[in-house]
Amino acid sequence: MKLLLVEDQEELASGVRNYFSKVGDVCEVASSFSKATDKLYAFSYDVLLLDLMLPDGDGLSLLKVVKENWPEMGVVIISAKNALTDKLHGLEMGADDYLPKPFHLAELNARANAVYRRRKQEGKRTLGFKEIELNLDQQEATVNGTTLDLTRKEYELLHYFIVNQNRLLTKQAIAEHLWGDYMDTMDSFDFVYQHIKNLRKKISSADGNDYLKTVYGAGYKMKDES
Amino acid sequence: MNLIVRITILFVLVSLVVFLIGGVISYNILMGEVNSEQERFLMERLDRMQLRLERRPPNDTIKWTKMMVVPLDDNVEDRDSFSDTLVMHSQLERLEPHLRLDAIRNINGKSYQISLYDIIVEADDIREGLTESLVTMYLILLAAVLIIGFLASYYVLRPFNDTLTAIKSFSLTKPDQKIRFPESNVVEFRRLNDFLTDMTNKVKSDYQSLKEFSENASHEIQTPIAIIQSKLEVLMDGDNLNEEQIQQLSFIQNTIKRLSHLGNALSLITKIDNREFVDEATIDLSATLNQMLEEFKELIELKEIKRNDEIVHGVTVQADRVLIELLLTNLINNAIRHNWEGGELQIFLKSDHLKIINTGPQLQISPDELFQRFKKSNQSAKSTGLGLAIVKKICDFYDYDLSYDSQNELHTIHIQF
Repeated sequence: MKLLLVEDQEELASGVRNYFSKVGDVCEVASSFSKATDKLYAFSYDVLLLDLMLPDGDGLSLLKVVKENWPEMGVVIISAKNALTDKLHGLEMGADDYLPKPFHLAELNARANAVYRRRKQEGKRTLGFKEIELNLDQQEATVNGTTLDLTRKEYELLHYFIVNQNRLLTKQAIAEHLWGDYMDTMDSFDFVYQHIKNLRKKISSADGNDYLKTVYGAGYKMKDES
Repeated sequence: MNLIVRITILFVLVSLVVFLIGGVISYNILMGEVNSEQERFLMERLDRMQLRLERRPPNDTIKWTKMMVVPLDDNVEDRDSFSDTLVMHSQLERLEPHLRLDAIRNINGKSYQISLYDIIVEADDIREGLTESLVTMYLILLAAVLIIGFLASYYVLRPFNDTLTAIKSFSLTKPDQKIRFPESNVVEFRRLNDFLTDMTNKVKSDYQSLKEFSENASHEIQTPIAIIQSKLEVLMDGDNLNEEQIQQLSFIQNTIKRLSHLGNALSLITKIDNREFVDEATIDLSATLNQMLEEFKELIELKEIKRNDEIVHGVTVQADRVLIELLLTNLINNAIRHNWEGGELQIFLKSDHLKIINTGPQLQISPDELFQRFKKSNQSAKSTGLGLAIVKKICDFYDYDLSYDSQNELHTIHIQF
């Protein structure tokens, strides 16, 4: 997956770039409207990560340019302007998703991946980790060919882990991914634990290995340690 | 009270006083005129009488109607004196007040006392006539004032009323709205309109810059938070941290999240205050509520809360979808968050009200304070303390009646639409 991040905050941009490059995605950074258009004309990208407030122009106008010239490119708006009008406007103008700042890098990765896979037409759309496979069209998970009976949240959780494999997912990031912004209490962390427990049980009952490692005090990591 | 009505009443009162004083003055002037005229008339008659007596001086007392001549024995100096007297009126057959002139005249060397009298115009009659005519005039004036007042309020004040209508439609939240005041050739109205135009433009631009400021402020706060967040994540993902360090970082991360939430919640409250949610539509409350409960289903089950709903189908409200969803989310979230493990949650939706009852620990603050910003029953709770403040704001915005009641660890939130 090749990404272009349009973000004028150098510190944030480097964090995002490092995160993506660790899993072999290519993420380039443009810090302004004009640099972004230069890069867009010179190279091709799968997904554009777009900040709405740029030093030399409005992100929404860049979105318009992108949708006119490269309609097949996926766009995720990342904005500190958590204004609902901006969100609606962006989605109306053809953005695929909207992620308000501050976000978890894991969440951004999951969103960018979802957009990328949704737009990728050819072939079976699957995602896998070892013997676990997700069918993105059917929203089903199989372990060694056996279909798991997962609830919607459990499926989303597994999907989140596979997209962010080998990364630490904090309980907070997981809670937000599953329940959105309103689950900001410590309570939700117990719920995360419950879901992980159920998911482990279901995978192991289908003779799958337990790849969900607990990182004490912080969260979980999907990792193959063998 | 209408301005014109006020001015009219004032005018009517002042003119009443003027009419009363004017009446007294008119009466005095009129009486003076009438008296001097009557005296002149009697004097003329006296002159004619005198000529007559000069031609044929009488020897004896003469009595004619309204006059009497008495020859005097002595010679007395000439003199005149007027007095009032009552004389039997021949036609009316009653005593009528008369003006009487007693004069002494020396004619051909002999003195005569000449008495002349004539019926006078009575003061009562003058007063009555005057009163009658003044009352009539006053009534005519009253009618004229009322008609003029009506016309004035309609025609003269029309530009003013148009200006008022224009101001009424003025809204801060519509940035493109250009307020237009009607043209007027009255200087005062023109000045008023010019002033209002300047003022509304100023208010608009001030409001706009304030809004931009708060939006930018929110942006400027969220961006550093985003940077901290991403750095923390990179740090935590490293392999060389011990458990305690990771725990500390996790704690920082949660705190950072709260800070971000706080900013968002405050900016949301400001937006509701600024009436920026005007996207009204008919919302199926029953469907929305069911959908919400579906989202919360797992949380409710995980906390082993016994749920009991009575949701009537097809309950609708006219409102902004975003606000209604926020309202329901906050209420349900609260009812779960502050519930016991294995507690109870009852939700009733009827055509005109919503009632949410949940079990939970007793409130440590007074119920009135519950809806204030940053008021929490338990200060250590990891919430922003803005959830119910937002609920209250939304209810106020749509004039819903919001009340809270608690009895023996049973909490009831009631919203009357």
